[in-house]
Amino acid sequence: MNPDHSPHRMREARGEGLFCGKRTLHSFAQLASEILRTELVFFQGLTSKSGRTILNLNQHLQKARASQPEISPKLIGVGPLSPLMLTIHGNSSRFCDGLSRRNFLRIGALGLGGLTLPQLLRAESISGQRQRHKSVIMIFLPGGPSHQDMVDLKMDAPSEIRGEFKPISTSVPGVQICEHLPKIARLMDKMTVIRSMVGAEDNHYAFQCLSGRHQKNAPQGGWPCLGSVLSKLGGSVDRSVPPFVGLSPAMGHVPWSDAGTPGFLGVGHAPFKPNGAGMGDLTLNGSSLDRLSDRKQLLASFDRFRRDVDGSGLMEGLDVFNEQAFGMLTSSKLLEALDIGREDPRVREMYGKGDPKNRDDGGPKLMEQFLMARRLVEAGTRCVTLAFSRWDHHGDNFGALRQDLPLFDQGLSALVTDLHERGLDKDVSVVVWGEFGRTPKINKDGGRDHWPRVSCALLAGGGMRHGQVIGATDRLGGEAVERPVQFGEVFATLYHNLGIDVSKVTLPDLSGRPQFLVDGWQPMKELVG
Amino acid sequence: MAYHSSNSFRLIRAIAPTGLRRVVFAVLLVLSTPHLARGESPSAESLKSLEIYAGVPSSTGSMLQLRGADSQRQLIVTGHYASGKAKDLTRTVVFTTPEGGLLKIGPNGLVTPLKDGVGTLTASVPSSGAGPGPEAVSATIPVQVVGADKALPVNFPNQIAPIFTKAGCNSGGCHGKSGGQNGFRLSLLGFEPAEDYEHLVSESRGRRLFPAAPDHSLLLEKAISSVPHGGGKRLEADSADYRMLRRWIAQGMPYGNSTDPVVTRIEVFPKERVAALGAEQQLAVIAHYSDGSSEDATQSSLYEPNDKEMAKVDASGLVKLYQQPGDVGIMVRYQGKVAVFRATIPLGAEVNDLPPARNFIDSLVFKKLKQLGMPPSSVCDDPTFLRRVTIDIAGRLPTIEESTLFASDTSAEKRDRVIQRLLDSSEYAEYFANKWAALLRNKRNEATHKHGTYLFHDWIRESLLANKPYDVFVREVLAASGDIGRNPPVAWYRQVKNSTSQLEDTAQLFLGVRLQCAQCHHHPYERWSQQDYYSFSAFFSQVGRKPGSQPGEEMVFHKRGVAKATNKKNKEELRPAGLGNAPLELPPEQDPRNSLVDWMAASDNPFFAKSLVNRYWKHFFNRGLVDPEDDIRETNPPSNPELLDALASHFVASKYDLKELIRKLCGSTVYQLSSEPNEFNTNDKQNFSRYYPKRINAEVLYDAIHLITGAETKFDGLPEGTRAVQLPDNSFNASVYFLNVFGRPDSSSSCECERSQDASLAQSLHLLNAKDLQEKIAADKGRAASLAGDFKRDDETKIRELYLAAFSRQPDPLEMKVAIGHLEKKLPSKEGKPEETIPKRRAYEDVIWALLNTKEFLFNH
Repeated sequence: MNPDHSPHRMREARGEGLFCGKRTLHSFAQLASEILRTELVFFQGLTSKSGRTILNLNQHLQKARASQPEISPKLIGVGPLSPLMLTIHGNSSRFCDGLSRRNFLRIGALGLGGLTLPQLLRAESISGQRQRHKSVIMIFLPGGPSHQDMVDLKMDAPSEIRGEFKPISTSVPGVQICEHLPKIARLMDKMTVIRSMVGAEDNHYAFQCLSGRHQKNAPQGGWPCLGSVLSKLGGSVDRSVPPFVGLSPAMGHVPWSDAGTPGFLGVGHAPFKPNGAGMGDLTLNGSSLDRLSDRKQLLASFDRFRRDVDGSGLMEGLDVFNEQAFGMLTSSKLLEALDIGREDPRVREMYGKGDPKNRDDGGPKLMEQFLMARRLVEAGTRCVTLAFSRWDHHGDNFGALRQDLPLFDQGLSALVTDLHERGLDKDVSVVVWGEFGRTPKINKDGGRDHWPRVSCALLAGGGMRHGQVIGATDRLGGEAVERPVQFGEVFATLYHNLGIDVSKVTLPDLSGRPQFLVDGWQPMKELVG
Repeated sequence: MAYHSSNSFRLIRAIAPTGLRRVVFAVLLVLSTPHLARGESPSAESLKSLEIYAGVPSSTGSMLQLRGADSQRQLIVTGHYASGKAKDLTRTVVFTTPEGGLLKIGPNGLVTPLKDGVGTLTASVPSSGAGPGPEAVSATIPVQVVGADKALPVNFPNQIAPIFTKAGCNSGGCHGKSGGQNGFRLSLLGFEPAEDYEHLVSESRGRRLFPAAPDHSLLLEKAISSVPHGGGKRLEADSADYRMLRRWIAQGMPYGNSTDPVVTRIEVFPKERVAALGAEQQLAVIAHYSDGSSEDATQSSLYEPNDKEMAKVDASGLVKLYQQPGDVGIMVRYQGKVAVFRATIPLGAEVNDLPPARNFIDSLVFKKLKQLGMPPSSVCDDPTFLRRVTIDIAGRLPTIEESTLFASDTSAEKRDRVIQRLLDSSEYAEYFANKWAALLRNKRNEATHKHGTYLFHDWIRESLLANKPYDVFVREVLAASGDIGRNPPVAWYRQVKNSTSQLEDTAQLFLGVRLQCAQCHHHPYERWSQQDYYSFSAFFSQVGRKPGSQPGEEMVFHKRGVAKATNKKNKEELRPAGLGNAPLELPPEQDPRNSLVDWMAASDNPFFAKSLVNRYWKHFFNRGLVDPEDDIRETNPPSNPELLDALASHFVASKYDLKELIRKLCGSTVYQLSSEPNEFNTNDKQNFSRYYPKRINAEVLYDAIHLITGAETKFDGLPEGTRAVQLPDNSFNASVYFLNVFGRPDSSSSCECERSQDASLAQSLHLLNAKDLQEKIAADKGRAASLAGDFKRDDETKIRELYLAAFSRQPDPLEMKVAIGHLEKKLPSKEGKPEETIPKRRAYEDVIWALLNTKEFLFNH
């Protein structure tokens, strides 16, 4: 009995939604025959919203089976589908984690549900297009953006607090934001402002905005960031595009340029950094395509070591990753995604021209990052992180914001518009925030200082309910007086958008303890309820 | 009245006319007896006797006793066969209940009382009827039912809280998480029944329970999902659990008395069984109480296999084994107590031609394999052994000279001599220092740490080189005092800062026990409570610190005072106590850390030696006898307990001699088995019937690539040629992408699992295409250039050299043909120009590139 077929494996991990969406009957026939050929059994909980997909597939399976009676794969269970992601259900949810670490690793690294990765890839490649994967773009504003000068202006506050900017109306009646964000204002019906972010750790780092956690009291190895979790749970969407890409540029203050850490999930789930060491491996080095194909042939002839000596699946995994790597080296899909020169000039113009110079020890203002992020999620990345400029204005707050806000306004509004124009707004969630807010009182240098008690966030896409303001601060913009929102709640919402049930999915840490992805927070009812 | 318990019979019953039932039944019995269905000879498997288990056996033999309306008993009927085999027949026998309707038997052998009285219960397997079939066999058991109509007052901790655990209400994802779920909170897995009672009865103005109309209690309505419940339906309205909850509410929610008995231990029956592939086994769980009484807890316990590829268990305790030979443990939990059922599932092949046993390891592994009927692979050839053992002991590939010498050596003990030579080399100490430095968290967080990390690494290396007894080694770390400069192991205390991480690291690293869970709640898989946790932490309560002589360094000293720690939960002050031991009363001037190591290193310590031999076993055999290697607990049993015990005793008897342990491990035939499976052991993952290949470590691989390409390793601030295995701390991971991407640990955890052995896309890309590696392959001073420029030797000789260097073996004719074919390959002709042969140097670069990317190179096999 092939262990991949055993019903207990199926019960433990259910891959969902791999083959749903619109599909021609032809591809279903192909799919069915492939299933028969490989004896796959993977249809636990597979159906489309209309229920048609599974019906078609069933018919074709039966047809195919009739022509090949010697093989009889089983179709196990049909249930409602939450799109895209791997959901790990516990052993009748006693512990909400019925998996041993070993099993989990194998499933996490090599497959979805009962499929091993090679089977999955094979199945995917014959099934043609896949349902659009869900993804997240995380935009970090290093240094702590000034909430009361951007989206929560306090015109009734005394002058030492009020700030220099005027509010303007937005496309949502009654909602006003800063006059230097006119483009975002026009898109306000497609976005959500949270004015009451609380629970910031008061630390100049990107960590909390990438992981939703504090660094203190982390389990050994540290907390993984969202992108690493997606990489672990879902693996690659496209064999030639990494699931997690970190675009955050190098900065003088290193904790700001953090593109996300894998924590206890291990380096295998670190972000692929086009600015970092791994990038060099993407372009052919010391070789041509011809020579690479020569070498590949040579390797195939030499590499005759019996794979079945390894029962752990590692050798098989290695072959699959090698195959992917060859794919990346020959297809250049990732490079193309990163190459914004291939973009329509009209679209490039919409994103505008930034400033490649780093603002002090913070980041540059690269408008390309916004565009690249869109191109990457389109190509198959599950999570893109990026960082924009530097917002830690202890002095000349208003001068600096006058320079940066228009660029930020253009970049973010272009991204949101672009996602909508391409029909990606249901699949791609965007979150924009910084590590904390800024003091109500303007200091003697015309700046505002650190204020972890309250800050703001902007959300877009992800199929969320937009055009609203969540939470409110007091008259001075110093305390959240309505609907305080924790970072974890935003993460729970993002995971929800990705089809991951935060009340069920756990990942084992280094001590084997099952860890939830967020600490007990639920998706925000205002956005997804 | 006869009641047949098989499910298929019940189905038939529903459709067959009454008169036919008995006939149908007889046919079914034959079909449902697997050995007959498989066509084995019935005489070989003839059933000799039946045995009924009904709870705790009395002095006069077993008796089925039911006391009170709530009582129940899980019967287990075991058939004993002429062959000596035992098989669970609980669901296949026919039960005849005593006259007078005293009790009811469910299809799975669960007995519940109906009426008071005494009688006899019979279980039988009837004869197959006509022909020379097996005789009818039966067994009886006296029955006594008392108080069948008497509903005793319900006890909350013993009867109600376990229902929440079984139904999953108090799991970590639901109401059991700290803070609860949607306003309703239960203690994790019911470890704190008093708190649960408080939350249920008093919280939310008592709206959860409604004694006047129990069925309208929110608790019950939510549980059966008659009002919307986020967790869905957890109970059936007609289930025994529901009735119990209902009765408890109707009784006015009694908690029970403080004098009521509490569960002291649980017992599972059977404890062990040798079972066939695909067999089933019903389990029975008995909870023993502090007043000496016992109750059946089969229906209320939680079950979980330690290997889900081997077995599954349903909620009623029925184990279904899969088609995987080996051992599987089923963990049983009830009210914080644990027990384990172990099934051995033999493959059943003939095991005749065993390779020679060289030491006790072999006898015990072979004994197990015989028991399992799983013939081991043959002994591996010399080149494979040399490469394997050199990588495992010295962390490097064998040199060409070593391979050549070893091949020409004809002496019988040449393998033992290699092991000894490697153990004597400084490379052994370097490789194992690399392993221990990561586990002992020799981490450089700041530039000022460098002095300390270098010294500590050096101290570890020297200790291993001198073969310092392991207990002394551990004492010097755990009881370290003074300045890092004078006493380098103090560096451990710099990384492992507070008493909780000190105790957790100590437990996991040196005892193989993961105590982390018990900090905040009773350990869900173990007997450890918060009391045990904080008692253990008291050993580290007197660690004092003051600034050291160098910046970034600290002095550690023993702070005079009575060692104690406070239990975070009940605020009790605790004296230090070894796990499972009585508290120690230590005078204030005595450093408790010394007492800790005294306890650890005592020859009868149940964890210390076992943990180390298991850790080293994993190093050499790629899977621990207990796996993961630092998760030793009753509920994660070793695959070969006898072997683990024997290794531990040997280690203790050798006075904790690490080199002697390695000599025994590597000197065993088991270590020297081929990794190639035979027709029986392809799926073997835990019985060591063959060698399990492992991916070579990041450091060893990095060095090996340099060796093959002929390039020199270079690390910032270290002399050229320093090998990656020799690196003193983690700080080089950041600058050498290779080490990072291949999972060299960052020394931030005492867990071996921090070393990532996963494959990843980034690794593949790097190995196939990294600029750095391409440059090394193509270097002017590299091996490819020098082979191409060597006109004295022919290509065949050079290919042989490459194979020896990379794989420690000669190429076979096919490989030679492929290599030579590539070296003589014609390039596609360009327009008008004559055909050209591939440039030699480029061809050699290609061959080296390909060899480096083979699995044979990347794995130790």
